[in-house]
Amino acid sequence: MELRINQKAYQVEVDADTPLLWVIRDDLGMTGTKYGCGLAQCGACSVLVDGNVVRACVTPVAAVAGREITTIEAIEADDVGKRVVAAWVEHQVAQCGYCQSGQVMAATALLKHTPAPTTAQIDAAMVNLCRCGTYNAIHTAMDDLAKQERA
Amino acid sequence: MNTPLSLPELPLGDPVNLSRRRFLASTAVGALVIGFGLPLGSARVQAATANAAERGTQVPAFLEIRPDGSVRLLSPFMEGGQGTHTAMAQIVGEELDADPATFVVEAAPPGEAYVVMENGIRITGGSMSVRMSYPTMRRLGALARAMLLQAGAEQLGVPLAELTTQPGRVVHAASGRSLGYGELAGRALDLPVPDPASITLRDPSQFRWIGKPVKRLDAYDKSTGKALYTIDLKVDDMLHAAVQHAPRLGMTVGSLRNQAQVEAMKGVHSVHTLPGAVAVVAERWWHAKRAVEAIQVDWLEAAADSKLRAMPADFSTDKHREFLAAQQGPARDDEHEGDVAGALKNAKTRVEATYHNQYLNHAQLEPPSALARFNPDGSLEVWLPNQAPDMFRADIAKRTGLDPARITLHSPLLGGFFGRHFLYESANPYPQAIALAKAVGRPIKLIWSREEEFLRDVLRPLAVVKFRAALDDKGLPVAIEAVSATEGPTEALAGKQGDKIDPTALEGLTGKSYAIPNKRIAQIYVKGPAMLGYWRSVGNSLNDFFYEAFLDELADKGGHDPYELRLHLLRDNPRLTTLLKAAAELSGGWRRGPYTAEDGSRRARGVAMASPFGSHAAVVAEVSIEHGQVKVHHIWEAIDPGSIVNPAIVQAQVAGAVALGLSQTLLEEAVYVDGKPRARNYDLYPILPPSRMAQVHVKIIESGEKMGGIGEPPLPAVAPAVANAVAQLTGQRIRSLPLSRYTFS
Amino acid sequence: MNTRRFARTAGWLALPCLIAAGLLAWYVTREPASPFEQEQATTFDPALVSRGEYVARLGDCVACHSLAGKAPFAGGLEMATPLGTIHATNITPDPGVGIGAYSLADFDRAVRQGVAPGGRRLYPAMPYPSYVKLSDDDVRALYAFFMKGVQPASEPNIPSAIPWPLNMRWPIALWNGVFAPTATYAAKPGQDALWNRGAYIVQGPGHCGSCHTPRGLAFNEKALDETGTPFLAGALLDGWYAPSLRQDQNTGLGRWSEPQIVQFLKTGRNPHAVVYGSMTEAFNNSTQFMADDDLAAIARYLKSLPGDPQRDGAPWQYQAAATDTRPGAHLYATRCASCHGLDGKGQPDWMPPLAGATSALAKEAASAINITLNGSQRIVAAGVPDAYRMPAFREQLSDQEIAQVLTYMRSTWGNTGGAVDARDVNKLRGHTDPASSSPIILHMR
Repeated sequence: MELRINQKAYQVEVDADTPLLWVIRDDLGMTGTKYGCGLAQCGACSVLVDGNVVRACVTPVAAVAGREITTIEAIEADDVGKRVVAAWVEHQVAQCGYCQSGQVMAATALLKHTPAPTTAQIDAAMVNLCRCGTYNAIHTAMDDLAKQERA
Repeated sequence: MNTPLSLPELPLGDPVNLSRRRFLASTAVGALVIGFGLPLGSARVQAATANAAERGTQVPAFLEIRPDGSVRLLSPFMEGGQGTHTAMAQIVGEELDADPATFVVEAAPPGEAYVVMENGIRITGGSMSVRMSYPTMRRLGALARAMLLQAGAEQLGVPLAELTTQPGRVVHAASGRSLGYGELAGRALDLPVPDPASITLRDPSQFRWIGKPVKRLDAYDKSTGKALYTIDLKVDDMLHAAVQHAPRLGMTVGSLRNQAQVEAMKGVHSVHTLPGAVAVVAERWWHAKRAVEAIQVDWLEAAADSKLRAMPADFSTDKHREFLAAQQGPARDDEHEGDVAGALKNAKTRVEATYHNQYLNHAQLEPPSALARFNPDGSLEVWLPNQAPDMFRADIAKRTGLDPARITLHSPLLGGFFGRHFLYESANPYPQAIALAKAVGRPIKLIWSREEEFLRDVLRPLAVVKFRAALDDKGLPVAIEAVSATEGPTEALAGKQGDKIDPTALEGLTGKSYAIPNKRIAQIYVKGPAMLGYWRSVGNSLNDFFYEAFLDELADKGGHDPYELRLHLLRDNPRLTTLLKAAAELSGGWRRGPYTAEDGSRRARGVAMASPFGSHAAVVAEVSIEHGQVKVHHIWEAIDPGSIVNPAIVQAQVAGAVALGLSQTLLEEAVYVDGKPRARNYDLYPILPPSRMAQVHVKIIESGEKMGGIGEPPLPAVAPAVANAVAQLTGQRIRSLPLSRYTFS
Repeated sequence: MNTRRFARTAGWLALPCLIAAGLLAWYVTREPASPFEQEQATTFDPALVSRGEYVARLGDCVACHSLAGKAPFAGGLEMATPLGTIHATNITPDPGVGIGAYSLADFDRAVRQGVAPGGRRLYPAMPYPSYVKLSDDDVRALYAFFMKGVQPASEPNIPSAIPWPLNMRWPIALWNGVFAPTATYAAKPGQDALWNRGAYIVQGPGHCGSCHTPRGLAFNEKALDETGTPFLAGALLDGWYAPSLRQDQNTGLGRWSEPQIVQFLKTGRNPHAVVYGSMTEAFNNSTQFMADDDLAAIARYLKSLPGDPQRDGAPWQYQAAATDTRPGAHLYATRCASCHGLDGKGQPDWMPPLAGATSALAKEAASAINITLNGSQRIVAAGVPDAYRMPAFREQLSDQEIAQVLTYMRSTWGNTGGAVDARDVNKLRGHTDPASSSPIILHMR
């Protein structure tokens, strides 16, 4: 089947029920999207499908064939994504970093829909888990991004 | 499909013109210590592995300076989020006179050269990395600078004394000439290392990077998915593997009912039987995982002589806690001062209470994995997450019978660790990966699914502590006794060491600074069936909760404010008095409550202290009750690690430790029923979500005392501060964790 | 009442009472007749054993009589009944604790009439009111399987925990007299062979009504075949709501085609639903092993059972969700939407839609609550555990939050199940356990 990932077309030979996560990681070799739980609990595998954040570990690949998938590898090709990455570096969000691909994707999806989110909107959208406890830093970075937009 | 990580594509001896990206990737295939144009086996490399006369003086083993001036530093310590690689760059860069931003830091391979801590071991744990290697790593930078100056003198043909440095350059002020470090490195690193005694270190008042909030070196890669963890690595011809473990530790494989059917499944390369597990090797991990789950195994009970701690079929955590609570002794004293029995007998008021905690999982976000490859010459390469490369290599040598010199161990970034990646006999995937690589004759990357990880993870210990205390006629404590029925992680892993008490069992009950004249801290050693391990802050993560919550009970019983009581008991300890007052001040002045906050919620505050891993911490927590559960609004934490290297990273570590502390306080608990963990994923083992996080406020106090740790010390005081606040708000004493087991109204 | 007069009256009554008691004693302990009284089965044709194994699959005997990790059919499953807890017995051919000493007639009486040798009555947890419809041939084959296909195991039976006097078995005979049919299935002349085969499996070995037919006050199924409208009309049992299998548009199979019913029973999933709750066990151990012809027959029969619009309500139609600020909407978006979609349409056939799901349309919310609290058991289709499973939320969401998110789910996208009460969540939380995340395979040999 054909997948569109980061503006490129890929032909993959996989079972229809294979999770998108493992197609991205093993078949296409893009390892920025992480496996954390396989159960839509942690969000480390977050990617964008048609601009919406999706957990790739519970997305059967057949369900997204032909749709526009964006992974962390192409995040800086997106204006919003680029700003998110800059804010993440500026506010030194990452610790171990394992969840941060997913956090950046979730942040990008939120800002694409809601360029200047309120605190409540940030709380509602940024629900991915982080075992290192970078939640305060994530919030600071998001507040900053929202503020930039308002200014 | 292959990433550029395969060996033949990377000319190890010639890194010139490599982009930083490939530069990083090269570690994944694991060059040892590569100097310019020098093949492996050169004198320099051998020097790096020879026994050191003095720790941390083999400059070429640590440093490579590239033509563009960038500095590659091999760190003795693993980066798992705690920022140690950045700290190492700051420390070495400060003395080398090179901006830490020009550094690329990777984990050093095993080897004597990298044993740099003052205690003579090499682990990344116990919050030891910076504090135990600080002088050595500074000296290392200074030695390298001296070598560059010497090389500069030779190259420019000027006297050494006329040369100085500015970041990244050797400068001859008189002639206005200068040379970049990159231009001098080839010559410099072939020079003999100067006598360490001849080195003068920079005056701390002149520090440019140490003590400053230098940006983490890994921030960008980790924000863009470029950072590589073991789970991400790939080598040529590699196959993937997944395992299904025995439902209880110690059980062994009897027979496979449907091996042929599983072998016929799509993508399956082969099916294997391993000690206590079955494995499937496949072209894709997803195929391996689905196939291995499909194997129907008849498991056999553990043999009587099993080397593993066999998990009995009737083990339950609740029952084990009751068993611990019923233990009467014998107890062995760790601390015993004064006349506790006498003081208790003559006390005006006696207070008794029993506390307990819960088992915990590490639940680091990166599931364990290992990549193993046998090379054509019979040597073995292994990539694996670890906190102690030499111990792991020694273990691999023991298992495989290979000479350690024929084993190359790579230590990629850790996707969180919190104590998970020590050498745990029953909880590491690399023996399986090595066995499978050997069996199939191709490199194997083995990933444990999250479910297999929860099945085999070692647990943070459980303790039941019985307190007794005596108050005098002023309501002040004059005696305290704590007897803990527990097993420490070290004695669980290494076996009971005679009469020696495992310090990790009682730390946090011991080592308290309060002026209580009579005290006895003792352990009833109870060997349990659950396999234990180290968890961030180790013994302190539970024991400070017990002690500091009980201290609040004493304050209440004696009619004292808990903050004032602590100040009183620390009246002769200026360092901790300052610290406690700093925490109160950070919170806007001590205010216990309950009171009504601006949003209308009823809130109260609690205070607690802890002195783990060479540092000291004081925490004030503010809580309310929301839908019957505890909401923690703010954590104000003052921490005194003596002195620090990077305030920004320290702040981040405090926030992270607070998160883990809140997680164990509010909701985490590993429950076993019928010998099996009830939770096999985050659904039944919830970890702190963003919605339960508190606003963390940090005050760093540099008292100038001996440098202490930073990764673990901020955690232990969180639980008691929260519990004390909840007790004040609800009138309900909190004597156990997690708080999700309570219902508040 | 005057004592003396009472004594005299009692005397008058004593004789008929004695006679009645004698008749009763005979009735409640008698061994009913079996067509196999004269038949001594000693040698078993392998084809017959194999045929019996298939009947055992149809009847899903293994679901109750086996425990994972224990010998097949050695018993042990704990079952809660209104009277107390009972355990399924050892039905291996062990002559001591099992049924090794049973003659074919003994076996027949146990299976079809619920009477063990000696006249002891079985609890109707054993679905003999359904099994009575088994044909003689199927009983004979089943016996052959249990005698020769199953290994004897000496696992002792666990006594029931029902207290005296409720543990007396003889009243069951009276219950049987009222509620249990006594005849094997007779083909309906007006219907074709496929329909009749379907009716036979559904009513007989498949005992679908055990879960899907509502029960009366005496815990009796209100109807045992299509002649009664309550038959397979949906029922609450053991913390799960087994939906209607009739042609109800909302709470039944009205929107399912025959091939979709077959697909569901064969693979555990179709565009409408994925098996969960107790149906997972039925699927894992029974329905997927049924022959395609038999599945087609079941589908044909079920499609012939009319729905009841009055009970079922106006047919569901999808409506896009409006902007919703209820807390349940946010919970849904963060906890459920990854799999079931913000639009509620799921990712068929892997993650089921919630829009139009019976659990979102039935008045009974038990199934929705239960699966949200406890997650799904692993579905093992053709020997391979499922790729995706439902997580358990009991440790993450409070009673109130689960009520909120289910209320949202049951009142969005045209769903009409309605509000869920936090107290109902609390009740189920108290007496259910999370589903195992490990596949549970019950072996028959």
